[in-house]
Amino acid sequence: MTLQMHAAIAASERLGGVEPLVDGHEIGNAPTMAADLIPRLCAMRRVVGATGFAVLSCSGGGSRIAGKLVPVLADFDRPDDEADEDALARGAAGRALVAHLDCSSLPLVWAGPDDDGPTLHADCRQLVVRTRMADAPMAGIAFPVRLGSLGNGLVVFEGEGLALAAGPLFDLHRLCYRVMTDLLKLEMRKAAPRKSLSDRELACLQWAGDGFKSEAIADKLGLSVHTVNAYLGSATAKLDAVNRIQAIAKAIRLGFIA
Amino acid sequence: MLARNALLERLNEALDDRDLARGMQAICAYVGAEHYLVARSDGPADTALGNVVTSDWPFDLVRSFAAELVREHGKMNEVERCIGIHRPIFAMCDDNLRLPPALSRRYCIIPFNAGSARLVLMLLFREGIVLSQERLHDAALMSAYHAGAFVGTGGAERALDLTEREIECLAWISEGKTSDEISTIIGISRNTVNNYITSIMRKTATKTRSEAIALAVRNSLI
Repeated sequence: MTLQMHAAIAASERLGGVEPLVDGHEIGNAPTMAADLIPRLCAMRRVVGATGFAVLSCSGGGSRIAGKLVPVLADFDRPDDEADEDALARGAAGRALVAHLDCSSLPLVWAGPDDDGPTLHADCRQLVVRTRMADAPMAGIAFPVRLGSLGNGLVVFEGEGLALAAGPLFDLHRLCYRVMTDLLKLEMRKAAPRKSLSDRELACLQWAGDGFKSEAIADKLGLSVHTVNAYLGSATAKLDAVNRIQAIAKAIRLGFIA
Repeated sequence: MLARNALLERLNEALDDRDLARGMQAICAYVGAEHYLVARSDGPADTALGNVVTSDWPFDLVRSFAAELVREHGKMNEVERCIGIHRPIFAMCDDNLRLPPALSRRYCIIPFNAGSARLVLMLLFREGIVLSQERLHDAALMSAYHAGAFVGTGGAERALDLTEREIECLAWISEGKTSDEISTIIGISRNTVNNYITSIMRKTATKTRSEAIALAVRNSLI
């Protein structure tokens, strides 16, 4: 690699990659809590011409069947009795969003009850999925984000008279990825076990996840069954789980065990 | 170099014609890469070539190099992978690897996801090319858009033959719920829940609930 390449990469890394520049103003520094992302989302909402936004996090690793949407951040300009973000997260709309998240990386666009949906430029034709949403209050667009086994979800913008072209749509999708990644970083900072797991605790969790019962693990490690169960218990407590099964699931999702 | 809007139009055209290669070539042109390779990083580790989705790398390089790289990459810490999604990783080829002339020994590997499929984009460049981090990040999302249309993105549950109810039970078990609690949540009897669990353990050939949950999480079922 040439010196030029080094310099170019170093320079853009110093700049921290893309900082969303809207109207010439940089939006925010590294967020310290989820609400810090709201100015960014408001700017994105302005760009797309929407009236409301919602960040919906999907549990269950984004699985179509086990995934549930949970609103994390939202702001809809209309005062309504039922929170719009809950209407989107549950019911037919929620299921449609989870199904889309499971099978597609493209933005999802839908019409409202009284209109034909956002106007799409011809340069979006293969880069967007159109659908009808049974209980959506108005037209909208959802950007699916999949980071891996954690941090999956959709960023939704709702509004009438949305008009979109491929370039700005793509930029928005990139920004949605930034939002979800920053949210995941925040969550990880909060969720990191107060004391890190010891080697013994990790070993017991790994063996348990591989199908070995406590007696077998005790044999392998040359310990008593009670000691093994104690290690599994302390690992469970450190991972803030209710039992060892949940502890194993968390440990795999967080990458502590394979 | 190809401009961004021109690339998006090329992707439209490639998808119109269901031409996987043409779209990937356009992405290559956009980032200034010479060769591309897209592979799944979530497949079984023993199949050397089975996880490669598409590539225009010289075949010997695919065989000698790509498979091992994908395998190594698959061992990355999950949280780091999630936080670093779409971020390019640079590394040098092994000294004893023979590359075509004019190719730089520095390659780039970018993880991305399409649905529940985990993939990597691996790029080879000519010596002396100046790269843009921005374009490389773009390339990852564009690969998700484009290659995602050609990859089976869901359905790990089909391979294991688990029903929706069974996966639902697994999801609740992984949150620490007991059979009693699950029966209340879903609205079925405790016996039915236990039957589902027995069926799950039979189908997945697991001996304990812990093992069944571990398998499900590793396969992105829950």
